[in-house]
Order: sequence, then C-alpha cells, then structure tokens
Amino acid sequence: MADESTATPRRDPIKNPVGITAAQRRRQNAVSVGKERREALFRTKRLCRVGVSSDMDAPVDSDMMIEEEQSILEAQTSSAVEELKIAIAFQGKGAVQKKVNALRDLRRLLSRSEFPPIETAITCGAIPLLAQCLSFGSQDEQLLEAAWCLTNIAAGRPEETRALLPALPLLIAHIGEKSSMLVAEQCAWALGNVAGEGEDLRHILLSQGALLPLAKMMFPNKGSTVRTAGWALSNLIKGPDPKAATELIKIDGVVEAILRHLRKSDEELVTEIAWVVVYLSALSPVATSVLVKTDLLQLLVERLATSNSLQLLIPVLRSLGNLIAGDTYTTNAVLVPGHELTDNIILALVKCLKSEHRVLKKETAWVLSNIAAGSVGHKHLIYKSEAMPLLIQLLKTAPFDIKKEVAYVVGNLCVAPAEGSGRPILIFDHLVSFVRNGCLRGFIDLVRSADIEAARLGLQFMELDGIDAMERFQFHENEDLRNMANQLVDKYFGEDYGLDS
Amino acid sequence: MAMEVTQILLNAQSVDGSVRKHAEESLKRFQEENLAGFLLSLSGELSSEEKPVDSRKLAGLVLKNALDAKEQHRKFELVQRWLSLDVGAKTQIKTCLLQTLSSPVHEARSTASQVIAKVAGIELPHKQWPELIGSLLSNIHQVPVHVKQATLETLGYMCEEVSPDVVEQEHVNKILTAVVQGMNPSESSNDVRLAATHALYNALSFAQANFSNDMERDYIMKVVCEATLSPELKIRQAAFECLVSISSSYYEKIAPYMQDIFNITAKAVKEDAEPVALQAIEFWSSICDEEIDILEDYGGDFSGDSDVPCFYFIKQALPALVPMLLETLLKQEEDQDQDEGVWNLAMAGGTCLGLVARTVGDEIVPLVMPFIEENITKPDWRQREGATYAFGSILEGPSPDKLTSLVNVALNFMLTALTNDPNNHVKDTTAWTLGRIFEFLHGSTMETPIITQANCPQIITVLLQSMKDAPNVAEKACVALYFLAQGFDDIGQTSPMTPYFQETVQSLLSVTHREDAGESRLRTAAYETLNEVVRCSTDETAAMVLQLVPVIMMELHKTLEEHNLSSDERQKQNELQGLLCGCLQVIIQKLGSSEQTKYGFMQYADQIMNLFLRVFAFRSATVHEEAMLAIGALAYSTGPDFAKYMPEFYKYLEMGLQNFEEYQVCAVTVGVVGDICRALDEKVLPWCDGIMTQLLKDLSSNQLHRSVKPPIFSCFGDIALAIGDNFEKYLMYAMPMLQSAAELSAHTSSADDEMLEYTNLLRNGILEAYSGIFQGFKNSPKTQLLIPYAPHIVQFLDMIYMEKDMDDVVMKTAIGVLGDLADTLGNNAGPLIQQSLSSKDFLNECLSSDDHLIKESAEWAKLAISRAIST
Repeated sequence: MADESTATPRRDPIKNPVGITAAQRRRQNAVSVGKERREALFRTKRLCRVGVSSDMDAPVDSDMMIEEEQSILEAQTSSAVEELKIAIAFQGKGAVQKKVNALRDLRRLLSRSEFPPIETAITCGAIPLLAQCLSFGSQDEQLLEAAWCLTNIAAGRPEETRALLPALPLLIAHIGEKSSMLVAEQCAWALGNVAGEGEDLRHILLSQGALLPLAKMMFPNKGSTVRTAGWALSNLIKGPDPKAATELIKIDGVVEAILRHLRKSDEELVTEIAWVVVYLSALSPVATSVLVKTDLLQLLVERLATSNSLQLLIPVLRSLGNLIAGDTYTTNAVLVPGHELTDNIILALVKCLKSEHRVLKKETAWVLSNIAAGSVGHKHLIYKSEAMPLLIQLLKTAPFDIKKEVAYVVGNLCVAPAEGSGRPILIFDHLVSFVRNGCLRGFIDLVRSADIEAARLGLQFMELDGIDAMERFQFHENEDLRNMANQLVDKYFGEDYGLDS
Repeated sequence: MAMEVTQILLNAQSVDGSVRKHAEESLKRFQEENLAGFLLSLSGELSSEEKPVDSRKLAGLVLKNALDAKEQHRKFELVQRWLSLDVGAKTQIKTCLLQTLSSPVHEARSTASQVIAKVAGIELPHKQWPELIGSLLSNIHQVPVHVKQATLETLGYMCEEVSPDVVEQEHVNKILTAVVQGMNPSESSNDVRLAATHALYNALSFAQANFSNDMERDYIMKVVCEATLSPELKIRQAAFECLVSISSSYYEKIAPYMQDIFNITAKAVKEDAEPVALQAIEFWSSICDEEIDILEDYGGDFSGDSDVPCFYFIKQALPALVPMLLETLLKQEEDQDQDEGVWNLAMAGGTCLGLVARTVGDEIVPLVMPFIEENITKPDWRQREGATYAFGSILEGPSPDKLTSLVNVALNFMLTALTNDPNNHVKDTTAWTLGRIFEFLHGSTMETPIITQANCPQIITVLLQSMKDAPNVAEKACVALYFLAQGFDDIGQTSPMTPYFQETVQSLLSVTHREDAGESRLRTAAYETLNEVVRCSTDETAAMVLQLVPVIMMELHKTLEEHNLSSDERQKQNELQGLLCGCLQVIIQKLGSSEQTKYGFMQYADQIMNLFLRVFAFRSATVHEEAMLAIGALAYSTGPDFAKYMPEFYKYLEMGLQNFEEYQVCAVTVGVVGDICRALDEKVLPWCDGIMTQLLKDLSSNQLHRSVKPPIFSCFGDIALAIGDNFEKYLMYAMPMLQSAAELSAHTSSADDEMLEYTNLLRNGILEAYSGIFQGFKNSPKTQLLIPYAPHIVQFLDMIYMEKDMDDVVMKTAIGVLGDLADTLGNNAGPLIQQSLSSKDFLNECLSSDDHLIKESAEWAKLAISRAIST
C-alpha cells in the first residue's frame, strides 16, 4: 500500500454508460416529486387561508399595497388576461406551470388595490378563461388560483358579481367530495360571495344544486373548510324565501354537524356555524322546531357564557333570540323558571349586558325582552336577577337604539300576559320600582326620539304607568314631564293617538 | 502491560481459516480488555527488528485500524478512546513508531509512517504532540537515505491526514523546505525524490502563504517542473499530479508559468509513457474545470461576483491545445468500448476536448471541423472513430446557432454509419454522438428543431435496428433513444414518436430479453429508456402505456417464481426486480397524473400492490428501494384508498425505516411515509405511533447516515399536516429533537462548503417540520399547546437570518414558518415577532427578493403577521 503510488482519482470519461445515471435521475425525480407535493400543499394551504380570511376579517394591510395609478393597474390587468389566454392556448413544455403563473399574476392584480380592476378583467374576457381553467382534471394549484380570481371578482359590484354566472356550475362542481379540500374551500368562498349578492343569485345557485355539497362541506372537522362552507351557506339561505333554510335542515347530518361544531370547535368556526343557525331559526319554523328539540340552546348558552368574542356572541345571541321568539316551545318547555339552563342563560345575558360593545348590549336586551314576554315566572326571574340594575342603568344612559330594546324588556316586565280576552295586567311591584329608580328619564328620551315605534313605547309606558306613578310619588320633574308629554303627543301622535285608542 | 503478540499476528494471516479466526478473536478480545496494553504490544512488535516482517506489518495495520474507521460514529469512538488513554502509554507508543522510521525493513517503516499520520491526525487538532514535526525534521540532512525517504513519506501522510489550520506556519515552512529539497535534482536517491514529490502533493494545501510569496512560489514551481523531466517515470507522473493539484488549488497564481507548463504537457502527451501523458492531459481538464466554474459564477452578466478572475488560459492555449488533443483521439485501444474500466489516452483526450468545448464555446468548432472532415471517411477505423468522437465531444458548449447546420449535415451521415459501418467502435461512437446530439440540441427550447416530422421516422428506425447490434452499440442506441424521447417531454398533445410508440416499446422489451443483455449494462439502459419513453409520452398513447402494466407485472411475477438460485443469480434477480419496480413506478406516476388514465389504471392497483409486497417478502432482510419508490407513487395515485394496503404494508415500511446500513433505503422510506401521509390524510393516524417511534429512534441513532436526518424532520411536518392536532401527543418528543437539531445547526458557521450544504438541508428539514406542525394545528382549539415552543422558533429564525449563510430554499421555508407561526398563533405570536431581533429585516429582505417563490411566501407572511399584530 505505502509503496504504491497514490492513485489520483480518475475523471469520468465523457463517453460513459448512461443507464446508471438515468436510474439515479429517475429516482431523484421520484423523490423530488414528493418534495414538490409537500411544497404545493404548504403553498396552497397558505394561499387558501389568506383568501378565506382576508375578506371576512378585512384588515387589508394598506402599506403592502403599492398604490398605483388606476390606469396602470388596468393596463396590467388587460395584459394579464391576455397572458392567460396565451397560456391556455399553449401546449408545450411547462404548459401547466405557465397557466398557473398567468393565473397567479391576474389574481395578484385583482387582490392589489382597494379598487381592484375587476371591470377591466371582465371586459377583457377573463370569466370564460377562468371557467376554462376550472375544467375537470386540472391541477389543484391551477383550480385554486382560478377560483381565487373568481372570488375576488365576485366581491365586486353587483353587476360584476353577476358576471360570474357562466362559471357557477364549475365552481359548484368543485365543491364536491372528489375535490381536494383546499380547492373546495376556495370555490365555496367564491360561491359565498355570489350568494351574498342577492336573492336572484341565491335562487340560481340553489337551482344549480349548490346547497347539498356546501352542506356536506360542513361535515368534516377541518376548521377552515367548515368555516368557509358555513359562511357560504349562511349567505345562501339568507332568504327571504325560507325554502332553502327548510331544505338545509332536512339534509341528513346537518343538525349533527352543527351541534358537533358548536360543541367542539374554535370560536372562528363556531361564529360561522352560529350564523347558519341565525338564518335557519329566523326564516324556517320547521328548522326552529327541529333545533329547539336538540341541546342547541344549551350549547349556545355555554358559548355565550364562555366566549368574549364579539363576532361570536352576536350570532349566538341572535340565534338564541330567534329560537326563543320563534317557538313557544322554547320558553314553555325548555327555559322553565327554576331550570338550570334558564338560570344559566340569564347569567350569560347579564355578562353580555356588562360588555363594552353596544351591539352586544342591544342584542342581549332583545333576547331578554323575548324571555320577559314569557310567563310571570320569567318576569320575576329577570326582575330579581342581576340584569335589573344593569337594564335600569342602560335605560338612563345608553344610546338610543339600546334604550329602545331595554324599554321593551322593562315594558314586558311590567305587564303580565292577558288572562282570557281582557287587557294585560300590570305587575305593580315592578312598575313602581322602575319608576323609583328613575326609569322615566329613559322613556322620556325615547319619546323625544324620531323613532316612532320607540316614541310610542315611551309614551305607552308613561300613559299606562308613568303618570300614575308620578301622581303617587310627586316627582320633582313632574311639570317638566307633563310639558314634555303634551308636546310630544301633539308632535308625533296628534290625531293618530286618538284614533288608536 | 505489553504482551507477546507475534504468534497471534502470524496466525491471523494463516491460510487455515479456523486458526485465522481464532487469532482474530484473540486480538479483538485483547483490544477490548486492555486497549493500552494492546496498542503497546502492537507498537512494540512493529518497532522490534527481531520480529518477522509479516507480524510487524500486521501489527502496524491493526494499530492503524484502532485509530481510524470509515464509519463516522466508529471513527469518533476510536478517537475518543485514544485521547483518553494514559499519557505514558501513548508516549511510549509514539516513541516506538518514530523509532521504526529508521528500520532497515521497508514495510515496517512504511506502515509506521501511516500510523504516525493517524496519531497526528488525532492529536494535532488537540494541540498534543507539538514536538512531532520538529523531531521528524531535526536531523533530516544527516540521516541515511532510507530514513529520509520514510520521513518524507510520513510528512506526506501527515499532510493528508490533518487539516492545514492546525499546523503552524513555521512548521509548514519547515515541511515544505524539506520536501522541496528532497525533490531537488541534486538529490541522488530516486526513492527520496519520489517520496518528496508525493509528500509535496499532499503538502500543497498547506502552502497557501508560500504560494502568495513570489520567490517561494517560483522556487516550488521550478522544482515541480524540473521533476516532470526526471528520468524516472514515477517521479514524472507524481510531478504532473502536483501540477494538476496546483492548477485547481492555485489557479490564480499560475499565469506566469503557463507557457512553460504548456510546453511540458505537450511534450508529455506526445512522447511520454501513458500514465504520465494522462496526467498531462488531466492538467488541462483541471484548468477547464476551474474556468467553467468561474465563468458560471460570472453568470453571463460579468459583474465579477467570483473571487477569482478568469485568466482565459484555455482560450489562449486553444490553437495549440486542440490539435494536441485531437492527436490523442487516434490512439484508441482495440476493444476499449467493451471494457468498462478502461481509461486511456484517447478517452482522456476526448474528455478534455469536451471540457474545452464547454469552456470556450463556439471558438472550438472551426478548430475541430477540419479534423473531422479529413478523417471521417478514411478507410482506417481509427480515423473514422476519432473524427466521430471529436464531433460528439464538442456538442456541449458551442451555441445551437453554431452547431445546428453542422448537425443537420452530420445527422444523415451518422445514421448511415450506424447502419453500415463495419467497425464496432465506429458504430459505438456514432450512436453515442447521436445521443449527444439529442441531449444537447433537441428539445422544446430549440429555435430551429433538429428533429422534424420528416427525419424522425428514419432516426427511430435506425436506432431500433441498432438495438439488435452488439451489446455496447445497442446500449448507446438505447441512450440515444432515451434523449430523443426526453426532447419531446412536454411537447403537448401530439408527439412525432407516437406512431412508433408500440414498436419502440416492443423493441426495448426484446432488448431486455436478449441473452447478452447483461453486458455493457444493456438491460439497465433498455429499461431506463423504456421509462423515459413512457414518461415523455402523450395522451395519444396512454392506452398503450396502460397495456404495458400487465406486461411488466408479468415480468416481475416471473422473477418471484425463481427459487434456489446461486448467489450470483440471486443478485441478478434482485437487479431485475429493481428495474421492473422502477419501470412500474414511472408508469404509475404517468397514469396517475391525470384523472382519465388513473381510472383505467386503478383496476391493477390491488395486483400491483400485491406484487410489491411479494418483492419485499422475497428479500428477507432488506427492503427494496425501487419497490418503495413505486409504492410512494402508488399511494399518491390511489389516495385515501391506500389505507386498505396499510395493514400488510406497514411491517415493510417499518423495516425500511430501520435500515441503517442501506441508508438510501431508509431515506426513500421516509419519503414514502410523506407520500402516504398526503394520500391518507387523517386516515394515517392509526399508523402514526409506530412510524413516529421509528423516526425518533432513527434521529437518535448515531449509526444512521446524517443525510437521512433532514428528510425525517420534513416527515414530521408531513405527519402533522395529515393528522392535525392529533400530533399533540408527539409534540413532547418531536419538539425537543427539533430544538436541539436547530441549535446544532447554529454552530456550524465557518465550516466547509459540504458542511454548509448539509446545514442548509438540516435547517430546511427542521423548518418544514415547524411549518407542517403549525399548519396542522391551525384552527384547532389546541393551538395554545404550541405557544411554549414559539420563542425558540423565533430565535432560531433570528439566528439563521443573522448567520447570513442560508440558501434560497431555506430562506423561502424560513419566511414561510414565520408566517405559519403568526397565522396559527395569531395574537399570541404578535409580541414575539415584534420583539424579535430580525424578523422585520428578514421579512423585508424576502419581500425584495428576486425569487418569486420567496417573495410570495414573504407577502403571505407579511399579511399573517400584520393580522397577528393587529388583533
């Protein structure tokens, strides 16, 4: 060994058998295919998520957008559509990548400014091209980019949204079970935008069969997919025709999926599901009667008690209110005074009344007014609860729209359901305590307002109870009030007042 | 402490197997029981003049093997053991070793030099044995010739063993002085001159400072050049080897010597013995390598990014260099094409000519064409072959503009020659040249296509005909067809090869059945060509590709029916199974890539999977890499349905993950786990406990080749992505592993290129794991489980940003992780990112990147971060 001259490593001859290197290349290719797929998965997941969230949360980072002259943007868009046309016609090496690149460029332009050049894109003929890119058997990334472009176009002005019509069947086709979740999700989002636009478009989507696959998208446990599907569904069943809502509740598995997500999922997802419940319960008595017989109320109340997210609490509250107002079964059979759930709901509502958000206070008052419309037992329950001082405080200090809802609660608390055909009976204890606590000022404000319904409410209170109370307790603002009331009666009710009563 | 080992060492070389075995076991036991005593005995044996040469030599070898091993973990272990030995024992051993350098017995001296180098390799980096170089060189001028020779040899080995930065410049100077003096023509002993020349070869990497000093460099170069003229062949050869090494290590310093070197090498190529002439050619090939690298770094824009300027030595030497190389092409050996291992003047000359063409491009063409025209029709086969070889060699480098018209003329001539030339060499080189034409001048990027509807039929006909020629010619014809098909990759809906698809496939299949398909790697070439033809085929022939499935399945089935084979036959059978699995992998990938063809293919899925399982069962111990890859492709095509194969397949998956020895198999299996995750999605969950256990074991093993570790981390990401927050239970194992690997990858700066490349691979794997985990947990109520890990991840990102040595791939993955972290953790990540040292700079750098993938990831990350910060 030592006496051998050190053999320098020989160079590979230029004329070399290729078989071995070909096999190596093939193996490397096989391995790199896997890497590319991982990469594509990462990218598409991100791509899709940004898409899904940027519209709903809408915090578009303004300094990311390079503000450009609209005309430049339009010129770029028209050439991007042209590029896409060329890419679609191209058949040679890298055809798919070319298409994806062209789609990506267009998508970026359409996501770019606060006034995306949607009109230009449509005028240049983007829609049929995008629909073509959605053809069956296309790669996921291509489908995603095309669906994203359509999503952004659908987010435009009404007539721009309507331009999507030719692409709707394909978008619907791609939300089927055969599609990848990500593609389905992006398509669902585009459809959600379309559905949000108007009743006629909802009608078209429903007749093209969008309801069933969207409903099925709610079944799995993949968060973002279900979220998007829920959002799109809530747009789709918005009505005013209640047919879609009734159909939805009848699809096998929908009720289970709703309950499961409300039970287990994170807040963002529950928010979207709760919106579905809002429309189901607002529009369809069938749906409401199905839902109140499940443990839905329980779940809604739990969410109400535990969450601090305004986005979540609003639809939850509204669903609760709908369910309570929409089916007497709820108040009569589920929210029975003395029942644990009933106590819980009051506690949760109290929590919401304490919240900083005006919308929340208002919605809570609305739900409370629905409960307060129940039995005398319900009225006592609310009256004795922690809600009472909060309501009184709100009636004194809250902005008008909240005051109005609170007034309904207070009004309902003072009047017991009519027995037989007689007039409603006053619950005198309640009334007296309200007046003593200075509620009158709130009602006076209502009377002062320009909202006729509210003013009537205020006056009713004063007429029925307030004046009576004032005479008894000699309020120092007596004169002020009387003057005010007279003025208002003249101003707003005039002749009507007399006719009504 | 020492013990008598002579007899055991002699027995260990006995012809009697049982005696040998017993002796080997005794040695092993002795080594385990008392390492210091063992090594002392061996060094004593080596140094003792009374002992037989054979036992002394073996003692030295065993000693050497106790200090070094090929496998990294074993080597590390041996080094640690030596370092922890008693200092007294070590001193004694080293004294024996140095003493042996004076032995009159050549074998003893030579073995001792190597052992000394190994010890130096361990000790010098730890600043131990500082007196070694001094004591070796102290009286180099007074010692007898044989001692001088041994000393120089030792210095040479030592320079090979230790890295230049652990030897002080003062010592380097002494070594170089001794070595160069040993090379001097005034040195009378050829043995000393040769040992010195070899030593210089290894010492060159130490001579950075000396090569920067004009006088010292001039002197070294003078001595080396003089040595190339030595009457002794081995010295000339060794001197040229030094020149080759200098050309790559000190390219920027050799301009003043190039004229002389050209003269020396030209003379050697023309007149000297082949080993010397080959080194002389190698010098020019090496210069080409350097200039190609530099010009590539220039990247066409001549911004001068490269540290080293191009001196255009090849361009300057071109008019003389090309004729010199062309002359070598006519010095072919008979039968060189049949013999794979051969390397001669003609092959080296052609290879160098190819490199020259790549270095200078168009300029070479007019210098070579006259040679081709003059020789290509000559009656002597050497001239025809040499001319064809010259043409084939210059097809890469010059622009298509320059070559297209020539190739159009040549193509017909080549096709005729391939059919009609009586000489096997000429046909071999002709088919090879056609392959080169298709490789470099055919494809969708060419402005004027060489292959047209008109000539394509004839080309295919001739190539298919040549596949019936001698194995070496048939192999080249296959390769030509391979590149022909490759050029039609992505052609669109219609390929000119379509009408011949069936015939081509049949011809290739009959080649695989040739009796002599084992020669010249013909069978491999035929299958790989079949694969490429299938891969690049269009939808028009999808039905025929589908028909190929049962054919290949039958072939694979046949191999599984053969039993009781000799070990040689068995190896061939394994090879064939590999080729067939590879072929199925390509077909599956092809048919699985579109919905229409996938449907037809799915009818075979069960049967194919069954065959693969049998291939695994057939090879009891190891898992077939090719079958694994094919299964990965199958999983992708079948999607969630692959779940039904998991119960049977799982054990082989596990075996693959346990295959430390054949680490490529392990790596491929890790990749297949990723494929399966993507195919099964949540359905992979029941198998994850087993898979994760095995992956974690792999990561903690120091036996597993390090190249498998980055893909394992990426695989964590694949699993998390598939099973979402079910990954929860693995977090407590996976996260610390990722964290410590991340820390490890932080402390590798200032390493060499290879280490840097590995570090980047490792970082990428770690980052892909993080991305997969974050994305998997996104929207889950359990995202808060990730919060405790976030600070470290942000620090890791800070660290790799600040090290400034990440490549584009890492950059893209890293910025993606930052986005995923913000996206998944939302406002929990906001403050962390805002407080991080460099997130903002990193993001901005990525936003302004030229790489659109990086830019896109960064834009996305920016959006995610802005949301995390604002909510």
